[in-house]
Amino acid sequence: MKNIIRALRSDRGWSQAKLADQLGVSRQSVNAIETGKYDPSLPLAFAIARLFEKSIEEIFDDETEAQAAAE
Amino acid sequence: MTQQTFKSAKRRYHRVFWPLMAVYTVIVLAGSYTLNQLDPEPQWLQALLAIGCAVPVIGTLLVMLRYAMETDEYSRLIQLKGFAWGGVVTVSVIFVIGFLQLFHVIDNFEIFWLGPFFFIAYGVSTLILNGGKQC
Repeated sequence: MKNIIRALRSDRGWSQAKLADQLGVSRQSVNAIETGKYDPSLPLAFAIARLFEKSIEEIFDDETEAQAAAE
Repeated sequence: MTQQTFKSAKRRYHRVFWPLMAVYTVIVLAGSYTLNQLDPEPQWLQALLAIGCAVPVIGTLLVMLRYAMETDEYSRLIQLKGFAWGGVVTVSVIFVIGFLQLFHVIDNFEIFWLGPFFFIAYGVSTLILNGGKQC
């Protein structure tokens, strides 16, 4: 799933390690989520959204749903 | 909610893992030394030391599992996949060796080595799944 976490993190000047610390996860987890290798659970997605003061939909882009809607 | 999940799980893991490894090393070294000093070696002592060596290893497996359950969700996924792949590879090897023995291709095989083999298979699987990084 595509997301804008890397951009949001860069805007704030945070490293992956700093974001990982704030979320209570490993740096590898942040990297896997940013690169789309791993889709976070709903609680973690909410935690990310709260941290960046945005809605989940603003951060995560469900391509599959968008494609289905377009068809 | 998820604050410090990963770090506290890692701390709890290391707090138990390293003492267990120290106990294991002491029992193996002291046990071998003690048995070498005795002639004949009493069977009850051999059995006691053998079980004594196995207990910290079993403890390590339980600590690894606890870490997998307590860590963050991505690390848990990687750890559990590592366990699964390590288990699948080890059981596959057990079947191959078992059939080779049944068909008299090979004779005795030291079953002990399957334990370290599992740990290696688990470690390699975890590294591959995590892109070469420790989780």
